[in-house]
Order: sequence, then structure tokens, then C-alpha cells
Amino acid sequence: MLHEGPRALSDQQVRQIEGADLKEVLDVDIDDVIEYVHKDMRSLPDYTTLYRKYLKQRWDVYDLDFSQDRTDWTEKMTDAERQSFLAIASGFHHGERQVEIELPVFMIGAGEEEKLHISAQIEDEARHTVFFDRFYREVVGLEGDDIMAILDASFPWVSETFVGPFGLLAYQADEVRKNPYDERARVRYGTTYFLWIEGVLALSVMKVTLSYARWRGFLPAYYTGFTATCRDESRHVQGGMKYLQDAVRKDPTMIKEIHETLRTILLLAGVASREVIYEPLGWTQDEVRMLMFQQLGRKLNDVGIKLPPDLQAMVGSVQPVLAGG
Amino acid sequence: MTEPEFFSPEWAAAVRDALTAGPPEQDRAGKLPMYWDFFDKVKASYASSWALGCRDLPAGNAASLYVQWGGGTVTGCRVTGPGDQPAATFVLGMDYADWQALHDGYDPQRTVMYRKILVEHGNILEFFKSIYFFTECLAIIGRVPAGFRALAAR
Repeated sequence: MLHEGPRALSDQQVRQIEGADLKEVLDVDIDDVIEYVHKDMRSLPDYTTLYRKYLKQRWDVYDLDFSQDRTDWTEKMTDAERQSFLAIASGFHHGERQVEIELPVFMIGAGEEEKLHISAQIEDEARHTVFFDRFYREVVGLEGDDIMAILDASFPWVSETFVGPFGLLAYQADEVRKNPYDERARVRYGTTYFLWIEGVLALSVMKVTLSYARWRGFLPAYYTGFTATCRDESRHVQGGMKYLQDAVRKDPTMIKEIHETLRTILLLAGVASREVIYEPLGWTQDEVRMLMFQQLGRKLNDVGIKLPPDLQAMVGSVQPVLAGG
Repeated sequence: MTEPEFFSPEWAAAVRDALTAGPPEQDRAGKLPMYWDFFDKVKASYASSWALGCRDLPAGNAASLYVQWGGGTVTGCRVTGPGDQPAATFVLGMDYADWQALHDGYDPQRTVMYRKILVEHGNILEFFKSIYFFTECLAIIGRVPAGFRALAAR
């Protein structure tokens, strides 16, 4: 199943991914969307182009019909499949909420065109939060009066190590809030948010759960909404990598901020508190770990960020614990 | 026996004993050995100090719980006030209501992620290198019996 990696997309495939409406997204292969994320990484689009793509690609989360997903969840999936799925998806449920609320402060110190892109991204993240809220209510069957009540109900599936990247992002957002034009603080924040959480963790969750849903022919609304989410993430990752690339080109000493942030993140990523069983979803821990290496390597290579030997060694110790946002 | 008042010298002494003892066995049993190896490794070499502040004690003042680590144990743990503020590696702040929520069982991870407790002074990247150690310690502190005055009486 692990066939993600550099693969050529035809112009027709790119047009299909870029132009698909919500119903057509069901027919799009998640591997092609993940490849689409990387398509423009070497010559990243400007923020206005990303904003114009957003206007064409935004979708209505309330158009999804989860009734077949509910049947698949309760009648077709095994308990082992459900537990594995929740162990992975719950990190994304909470991750979407986190990235939604941590992004607004980053907009303060951004350029005008970048502000357009970030405002669109905030709306994307809010929509993704509602997507997971609906999935947990209507498919998993969690009950609660509001969004936080559903987050409370799914939190038991979230690993204790989730606080590593997402707590760090919260504190870095506070650092940016206090000094919104501190470019070094912004680069550290961008490394955690755009490179690690979105570029590595999120795309890996998408690949694992969506390839499972496609392989088994289950959860069509989840596949549709989360594949559309992945297309949204392509804009976020490209915008985030453009920000980091521009910051390093403008001031090459910014690479130190990226390295220092990765030093903390990779130290934390070398620890797991729970064993996640991936086999019911068609994956092994080693395959997921390899997937994360691929995602990190492609982002770093494409934007021209090299790792010193100590960080390269730390990459080899990363544990396959997935979350995203 | 009545429980010590929150942010009293007696409470600080109980926190010191609880942190020195570390997480209870039932906590350890619920997480992978790899996680506790990391916790134990950090604890053995940790030489930083925390000033864990309460911004709005009912008496109307701010105070901190100063915790100094060294040699794998707590070497100092006391409540400090405005006239007694030793320099700490990491100065953190939290509101009284959030301290009470932590005591009542609110999750320490979410206490961090939802910024109920924040680093006010100190290097964030360095602080996070030991975040799993910190959140486990926060859970331990939250479980130490403490008397909280009713918020309505404030």
C-alpha cells in the first residue's frame, strides 16, 4: 500500500484535482492529492495565487452526507479497525481545533498578500474542525452539546505525546502574540506549524486513513471531506514552505531557528506513550515511520533546508505517532 | 485531617514530597515504558527551576510555587510572594480558577495546550524539551490535596 513518493501527475490529473467539486472528490486518488501537495514545491506559488485557488476550491462541509459512513462504521468495520482508526483520527480532530485557533496571531506580522492567504487558511481550518465534529457525532456516535463537548469525548483516544507539537505551537503562538513582528519567533512558529504539523504529521494521517477507506470501500463522506481537506492542506503547506523559504533567503541565519525548533520537535517525536496498532488499517509501524521520513525529507529537500548530522540522526528515532491539523 | 490550604507552606511541603515520589504505579502502568524511560532520564538530569505562579489568589495577591530540581530530586519547594522572588529558569503563570480545575481533575496536557498555564519568562524551545516531564509533574501537583476558597467569597 505504501506507494506514495515522487510520481508524475499528468496535466489532466492536475486539472481533475484542482477543479473537482465535492462530489467529484470521491473519485480522486489520495496518492495523487498528496503528490499534488508537492507539485509546486520547487517554484512555490505566490500568496495571491494560493488565495485564488482557495476561492475556487472551498467546499461546504454541510453538503456531506454521513449516513453510509455510519452504516460502514457500525455494521462493516471490525472493532479493531474502529479502534485503530480512532487512535489516528482523534489526533487530527484535536489538531484541527488547535491550528484553527493558533493561526490568527501569525497574520499580524504578515505581508498584505500573505494576510489574504492566512485568512483563507483560518477559514479552511474552521471548516475542517466542523468536518471532524460532524464525523465524531454522526459516524462514531459521540454526543455533546457543542464542539468542545465532542472534543472532550474524543480526547481519551489522544496520545499523551500530543502536547509535544501542539503545546509547543500554542506557546509559540503566544510568543508571536507578544511580539508579532519578531521574525525569528515567526520562523520558529512556522517550522512547528507548517513544516512539522501540516507538512509531516497531517499528510501522514491523511495517507493512512484515506488509503484504508479507499482500499476497503468504506466511509465515502469521510473520504470525500478529508480528501478535500488534503487539497486545502496543499495550499497551506505550499504557503508555509514559501514563508520559510523566503525567510531563509532574506536572512540565511534564520536556518538556525528552523534547526533549533526541529531539535526540540524531533526530541519529542522520538517518544511514544501508547502503541498504535496500524495493521487493521493495512499499515505497519515501520511503514508509517517511513511515510513520515518521506514527508519530512521531501519538504526539506524541496525548499532547500539541509539538516546537520545530529538532526539527521534524530530523524531516525521518530516514533510513528500521528496527529495533524 | 484537614487538607492544607492551596499555596500554603504545608501544601508546598506536600507538593515537594509528591514530586520526589513521582507518578503512582497506576499512572506508569497506563503508558509505554519508553515514555517513562524518557521521564526518568529527564528527571535524573534536570537542573532547572520553575516558578509556578497563581495570578489571582483570593487574598488579592500573586504568588508562585518555586520548585528547584537537581540530582534527580526536588531540592527546593516553597511558596514565594512579591518580596521573595528567586530567579527561576522558567516562570509560568496560571489563574486561580485553572489551578482549581487542575486540582479537580482537568487534564494537564490540555492545561498546557489551551494556554491555561503559560511560560511568562524562559526559553520555550528548552522548556518543551522536557514537556512530558512537566505535564506529568503538573498532574502530580494537581492531585496533592488542597483547600480552595470558594470563588464566590473572593
